[in-house]
Amino acid sequence: MIVVNERTRLEWRDGMTAQDVLDAMGYRFSLITVTINGEFVPKDDYDEHRIPDGADVRAIHLHHGG
Amino acid sequence: MADKIKITIDGKEISVQKGSYLLDAVKKTGVTVPTLCHHKDLTPTGTCRLCLCEVEVRGRRKLVTSCNYPVREEIEVYTNSEPVVNHRKILAEMYLGRWPNVPAIKYVAEMCGITESRFTSNLTDENPQACILCGRCVRACREFALEKIIDFAGRGIKRHLTMPFGEVDPHCIGCTACAFVCPTGAIEIVDDLNHPLDPQMIRDHGMKVNAEMAVLDKDQCRMREVGTANIVDVMDAYDLLPVHNYQFGTHPETWRINSKMLKARYFTQGQADGCWKGCSMACAKTIDDFELKTGPYRGQKVCVDGPEYETAAGAANMGCFDADFLAEFNFYCDTYGIDTISAATTIAFVMESFEAGAITTEHTGGLELHFGATNETLELLHQMADGRGFGVDVGQGIRWLKQKWVKEYGADPDFLHDIGMESKGLETSEYVCKESLAQQAGYGMAIKGPQHDEAWLIFMDMVNNQIPTFEDKAEALHYFPLWRTWFGLMGLCKLCWNDVVPADNYATDEPHKIPEHVDNYFKFFEGMTGIELDESKMLDQSARVYNLQRVMCRMLGYGAREDDHMPYRAMGPVTVKEYESRAERYDKQLKEIIGVDPDGKITEERVGILRRYREDQYEKVMDAVYIRRGWTRNGVPKIERLRELGIDLPELVVIVEKDQE
Ligand code: SF4
Ligand code: SF4
Ligand code: FES
Repeated sequence: MIVVNERTRLEWRDGMTAQDVLDAMGYRFSLITVTINGEFVPKDDYDEHRIPDGADVRAIHLHHGG
Repeated sequence: MADKIKITIDGKEISVQKGSYLLDAVKKTGVTVPTLCHHKDLTPTGTCRLCLCEVEVRGRRKLVTSCNYPVREEIEVYTNSEPVVNHRKILAEMYLGRWPNVPAIKYVAEMCGITESRFTSNLTDENPQACILCGRCVRACREFALEKIIDFAGRGIKRHLTMPFGEVDPHCIGCTACAFVCPTGAIEIVDDLNHPLDPQMIRDHGMKVNAEMAVLDKDQCRMREVGTANIVDVMDAYDLLPVHNYQFGTHPETWRINSKMLKARYFTQGQADGCWKGCSMACAKTIDDFELKTGPYRGQKVCVDGPEYETAAGAANMGCFDADFLAEFNFYCDTYGIDTISAATTIAFVMESFEAGAITTEHTGGLELHFGATNETLELLHQMADGRGFGVDVGQGIRWLKQKWVKEYGADPDFLHDIGMESKGLETSEYVCKESLAQQAGYGMAIKGPQHDEAWLIFMDMVNNQIPTFEDKAEALHYFPLWRTWFGLMGLCKLCWNDVVPADNYATDEPHKIPEHVDNYFKFFEGMTGIELDESKMLDQSARVYNLQRVMCRMLGYGAREDDHMPYRAMGPVTVKEYESRAERYDKQLKEIIGVDPDGKITEERVGILRRYREDQYEKVMDAVYIRRGWTRNGVPKIERLRELGIDLPELVVIVEKDQE
């Protein structure tokens, strides 16, 4: 189990990447900052960065527009 | 996305992004190669050839300019091989021979081991600030300023820049981007406008934004490409795009009016035209030669200034997923002087009322105002402008319509109040805020009514969960409205605060505030006035005006707690249909947040339970915000707060005295 933005729980599976989490959450915005257990993940690495079970994943959307 | 290639540089293996430039990879390994025409924020052109490296591709070696060599396959790179060193030496000698006193040339020549040149000729220019034809200024003019003022003319040894040395081109906007990137100081800046105290300070910070626009925007918000229309796509993806009078947040036909469609089929202009020529964000987009189908200009080809996000989202709110309609609606609203947001939100309300039977064709003068009725909507717009028929009523706005329909048509006041998206008499702007308490309060507690200018907190609150407690929300609803008010006070555009973001913003303490950009604005202010600014001074400047406005509202009989509410449509599902469209979400909230098992309860009951909970939450957030703002429980500024801000003038105190606790 992993927790996204301290709220949503997602089933963890082996090989899960940062991109998988964004997909599962439907997060497609261009200004997202992803951290996993407090560590920043660069955008270029989303496809490769593996998420450990129990991870605290934050996908922080910057507010633009408005 | 993660298309990585492994390459070797001087024997060291490194993994790089496919398509990225070799020079960046070389720098990553800690090797420095000389460069002259390269600038980190400009498209590399390979003009000076000093950054040469030797590259081995599938067994074959060649010399390439690393600054503009894209890495596409596995290669071996030599930054210091014999051919490289020899070539660079000759180049350096030639440069030094022609421009012996230019510091930038002397510096790179020295890097190549050259201090004297054998090549001097009648081309030799002794000027230490000579133009060395690197072309950075030409690129900056195009890429930062979106202009083509300076360019090269002539070939070979006759090659020279045509501006700004000769006649000053009147189209030059004086942005100074060219001078900023010039490595020699060949372009001189003469400041004689507005007399800012420290023009260099303003330029240095403005130039950062220019560079971000040139480099980052294409992967961030695409403001240059499609303007704020990009938000249509984002809002639809996050269930936040108002559809059918804010009942829903997404629609299968959004593609008909999204940024992709507008870019592909409509926008013909995208230059810095809207607010001031020279803005490097250039978010204003225009449709040329658009042929109108209705109204007084029917059949004529016109120029449409837009559409931008709010107008496109307004079309979604009216269920009109048709870009031709959108362009025509946009044009006529502008031409008639009607605000597109108020018009769309009012008409969306009219449509829902019509569909619910609260009004009929008898009241609309025969117009079948269903959602998606594009022709009828345009007809209504023309009526509004002409002062004809049903348009006369609709032009008065939602608050007025509600009163009339209740009084004269016997419509259900509760229903109209729940779905009429106005507060303080102003129509709400185009965001669905049901799932964000902070955004609801941002709308409801905005001094001038529910527009998004004061606080746009949906992502921070709903998606990021960054402000979970009432106090967190109150802090955000203290800071952001004041920050946004400050832009208005200074007459500065807000878009280059958060519609482009520095690449390393994520690493700051408060990424949501975009600290580097806040600092830019403080420096603009300081550069202009000489007064140093920090967050607390900025907030005080703003709070003085904000509190003054609130006191004036009070003077007019408003500006109290009861005025800060939003219709329930802004807070949650009003109808059974609305609840059921997102049943999974709401049922989960009943169970997990409110602690009520939805099983065995009919939808009406669920709607009621959720509503009581959400309305109560709203009251609580209001309490917290009033405390943070230094206002009474009734939402009136405390005299003590006015004193703190230095605006406890007797004529103000007398207005709020009776409200003090
Ligand atoms: S000041 Fe700006 S617009 Fe004028 S030539 Fe330089 S870059 Fe171009
Ligand atoms: S003016 Fe400056 S930036 Fe432009 S080509 Fe000459 S040296 Fe390069
Ligand atoms: S820096 Fe690469 S060619 Fe000039």
